[in-house]
Amino acid sequence: MKLTVQVAGKSDLGCVRTNNEDNFGYDTRPGIYVVCDGMGGQAAGEVASKIGVDTILEYFRKAEEAAGKYPVEGTPLEGVSERANALASSIRLANKSIFQAASQNAGHAGMGSTVVAALVKGNFFSIAHVGDSRIYLIRKDSIQQLTNDHSLVMEQVRRGLITQEEAEKSNMQNIIIRALGSEETVEADVDDMVAQPGDILLLACDGLTKYVKDKMLLEIVKSAPTLQAACERLIQAAKDAGGDDNITCILVRMVEHPWYRRWFGKGNPQWQNSI
Amino acid sequence: MAKLYLKFEQAVLKEVTVTQGGMVTLGRLPDNMIQVDNLAVSGHHAKIYWEADHYVVEDNNSLNGTFVNNQKVSKATLKDGDNILIGKHTITFKDEWHEDEPEARVPTQAMPAVPQMDATVVLDTKKAKELMAQARALKEGGAPPPPAAAAGPTASGTMPAVAPAPPPPPPPPAKERTGMLTVLEGKTDEPQYVLSGKLTVIGGAAQATIKLKGSMFRRPPDVAAIVRKQDNKYFVAPQDKKANLKINGANLDHQQELNEGDTIEVFGVKLNFEYQS
Repeated sequence: MKLTVQVAGKSDLGCVRTNNEDNFGYDTRPGIYVVCDGMGGQAAGEVASKIGVDTILEYFRKAEEAAGKYPVEGTPLEGVSERANALASSIRLANKSIFQAASQNAGHAGMGSTVVAALVKGNFFSIAHVGDSRIYLIRKDSIQQLTNDHSLVMEQVRRGLITQEEAEKSNMQNIIIRALGSEETVEADVDDMVAQPGDILLLACDGLTKYVKDKMLLEIVKSAPTLQAACERLIQAAKDAGGDDNITCILVRMVEHPWYRRWFGKGNPQWQNSI
Repeated sequence: MAKLYLKFEQAVLKEVTVTQGGMVTLGRLPDNMIQVDNLAVSGHHAKIYWEADHYVVEDNNSLNGTFVNNQKVSKATLKDGDNILIGKHTITFKDEWHEDEPEARVPTQAMPAVPQMDATVVLDTKKAKELMAQARALKEGGAPPPPAAAAGPTASGTMPAVAPAPPPPPPPPAKERTGMLTVLEGKTDEPQYVLSGKLTVIGGAAQATIKLKGSMFRRPPDVAAIVRKQDNKYFVAPQDKKANLKINGANLDHQQELNEGDTIEVFGVKLNFEYQS
């Protein structure tokens, strides 16, 4: 069975902030979906996250024009697909762009961004991330976090130095140990997956996941009538819980694409450039 | 003067100062000095003000009540460190000094480092390693870290100082194992596959690692089954009912770990699993 995608995305200031340091974008033609959460004062966070989204979208749009040839940036990773390596390459490029912009403009020094990205091609998808933004897979009635936060406390949990409870109470939750733009090079964590009909991917920044726990995420996405409504309800849930950070999410649903639609339908590409 | 820290769980959302003679209002509506946008909070929920010689909190007949250190109150005197709960939000009261007795002005204990709004900071690789080593030392030795000598990360003023830590012990050597699948029966594109990737796809799709050929009359599913490598182990899982996945002759409808010598059957192709020696 061939699969096709439905997509919705939304970003919100949250309850407290007056500026939005998050950004997101997608394009169903190359099959790329990106969320970035920027950081750095004096509006630099906004600059960083926008560069991140723009660079990654552009990389995959150009590759689509070049008949799916993904240019290689840096050293290819072993043991993962060409698609996962393409994500890693696009993230290295985004890192470079942000790092350069930060070093050329004094006002932007120290800016950075997290990134989560998914590349969906037919029945296959690959994911990549840097920082503490997350990707979840909602399959049937379960939800699974596909990414491991690059945060200091989660790293300590993974190494068995502190417990999950200690991590949730820690005063160091805001420290991430990998980001785009903070060092000259960055390595993303990447993975390859196979989609099943009905799978939903949730790409979100910590403004959502800090306030809305996994089970609640699942309930909201499952009960909403449309993906767009689900995005809106997720954001509202984070705000109801006090959401003091910017909140951004993308939902991508992979649905069966029957042969008659493929033959007779034109297909409607959908895209959303960075905001 | 005193400080009020509006908190949700561990995060400090807002900091407000209340002075002698001043008043701070708490509530859901935007005309409050501390606005708490949550339905459990009344429009004008409570107020905190100076009365005679101390600060008090007074509930404005709110629907869900005001609690000081878990006691429901209508009006209560506040002392340093009290926690006021309204809805799901906590306001921590810090009595700093009284303006009318300047000589008695004692610096109160510094607020513990709390995550400040908008304070996501990135540690560079070196600092991250230091902090990890410090946490490990704490866990193993149980001793507090040596007095702060080195500077904390430059990006944040709220970080505890980082002490120089001994280099982390080398991780236990994990012996990397690589599995392989050998074709015993059926049509595929290769006779043998080394499972070096994290994900191996068995199916008819162009992207499949192990390509099933099928026949003129029977086209294989795009993705019949997958093999994932995780924590140095391999797991096989079916992806398409038509593929009729079997392991050692038994039907498989869920994910299962592969052991040396297992035989898997998928869409008429028989494969033998073993670890590379």
